[in-house]
Amino acid sequence: MGFHWRRALAVFWKDSLDLRLNKGLLASMLVMPAMLVLVPVGIIYAYARNPSDVSLRAMALFYEPGLPYTASAARFLIDKTLTDWFGMYLVMPVFVPILISSQSVAGEKERRTLEPLLASPVTGAELLVGKSLAAVLPAVVICDLAYAGMCFGADVAAWPLVHGRLLPNALWSVGVLCIAPLFAFFGNGVAVLVSARVAEARLAQQLSALVVLPLVGLVGAQLAGFLRAGLAYYAIQAAVVLVFDVLLVLVSVRFFDRERLVRG
Amino acid sequence: MSGIELNGLGKRFGTRTAVEGLTFSVLPGEVFGLLGPNGAGKTTTVRMLAGLLSPSEGDARVEGISIRDRNGTLRQQVGLLTEQPGLYDRLSARDNLRFFIKLHELDEKAAWKRAEPYLARFGLKGREGDATGSFSKGMRQKLAIVRTLLHQPRVLFLDEPTSGLDPESARTVRDVVAELASEGRTVVLCSHNLHEVERLCTRVAVVKQRLLAVARVEELRRAGLTLHLRVQGSAEKAAVALAALFLAGKVLTEGSSLRVFLSSEEDAPEVLAALVHAGVRVYSAVRGERPLEEVYLELMREET
Repeated sequence: MGFHWRRALAVFWKDSLDLRLNKGLLASMLVMPAMLVLVPVGIIYAYARNPSDVSLRAMALFYEPGLPYTASAARFLIDKTLTDWFGMYLVMPVFVPILISSQSVAGEKERRTLEPLLASPVTGAELLVGKSLAAVLPAVVICDLAYAGMCFGADVAAWPLVHGRLLPNALWSVGVLCIAPLFAFFGNGVAVLVSARVAEARLAQQLSALVVLPLVGLVGAQLAGFLRAGLAYYAIQAAVVLVFDVLLVLVSVRFFDRERLVRG
Repeated sequence: MSGIELNGLGKRFGTRTAVEGLTFSVLPGEVFGLLGPNGAGKTTTVRMLAGLLSPSEGDARVEGISIRDRNGTLRQQVGLLTEQPGLYDRLSARDNLRFFIKLHELDEKAAWKRAEPYLARFGLKGREGDATGSFSKGMRQKLAIVRTLLHQPRVLFLDEPTSGLDPESARTVRDVVAELASEGRTVVLCSHNLHEVERLCTRVAVVKQRLLAVARVEELRRAGLTLHLRVQGSAEKAAVALAALFLAGKVLTEGSSLRVFLSSEEDAPEVLAALVHAGVRVYSAVRGERPLEEVYLELMREET
């Protein structure tokens, strides 16, 4: 039996409908994007509000000892915040699909809905595609909306100092459009794999969420001055994640086997 | 021949054997009972026959399709009602059904046309728009039955179909099952409700990891022929008289009544002759069949 898009889309339809009706999950999905937008906007506002504060120069020199005396330390720190924060922003496309996929795969086991579903003609690949679409698409949409909010918030906050637009810029636009979907795919892949092996949605969520720790670690290294972020740096991250994505697809197809799912 | 044919079917999970060597057949249009205690392997057997698990040994054909074929055509032919209704609580009854209509790639209009009479019979008409999370256990079970019938499967596996239903609804379900069988659909019923099995099934298989018995319900009951006697005075004297007939352990006494378990119909005159010979006055002798429950329990006792 070949791959039937109609069946994959049926799974996508059901999971999307279920997600829309799950107010608790929707709320928890929106908390992280809100924080990831509000925190950098707040930092930018703090820098732009008092750009001549001497402590800003001290901070800027910590990151860039060769910063010209004539250059604005506040502007340098705002640019650095935006560049570094993109690493933190990438946690969002990883985390949001984890929340959805854990509910949709392990949640099916928990609610005993998986067996009737597996008794239907839907194949493992169709199930995988339908469920992945239902997790990745909302994550990408949320990331895009958060980016729009970030552009607006950052520009408004920085206006007193910059008198122009900070965002969108090349790094963020390329990152949000090309790199974030790869990360979303990665988060979903991990959650699907973990969910296929555990029986509880909460456990699946907790285990899957551990994959964001390396990302947070990298951002920590950036803030500590050990790593210098930029477009090339994020492109390398994206390439590594792309390799993981391919591996996850290969492994997931194997693990999304009826027998494994039924036996839990 | 279609229907279901099992040939040495078995399943192991690691070192644990769930079922082994199951060989029997279910005829098309038959309502067949699959009996056994908890953990006997009934669910595993049904899961194999419905194409959810692959067998470790042997094979089975459902409507002529080998369960080892992994191309999915088997699942288009079978309907599985699991022990738990397995509904999506946040979705309405209509959306729960719509999802399965889409999964089976059915014509939506035609599928609704088929579903609506069942919804009406089960008293769910008018509740289609309600979230199934607000349904009672019985309503959920009835909706799950409608979902199982959407794609008009040739073979139905029903696990405790009347569980949680009120007597009226249970009767409607039994009527529906009988109708489905009369349309030529094969129904395999897993149930611990032996009265229901007796009422609905033509044949049963009793399993406990392996096949203990497969027979027509009447045959099983006949294999447990009994003779109910009422004698003068205590029945103990009669029981002693029957001991010579090697019926020890097969005679139950209570007051002036005896219940004698017979190996065959031929034993009845021998029993009566022995009693008369011992001077026991017999007031009445009625031949009876044991209820399925008793036969089942005896099979379980013998197995342990």
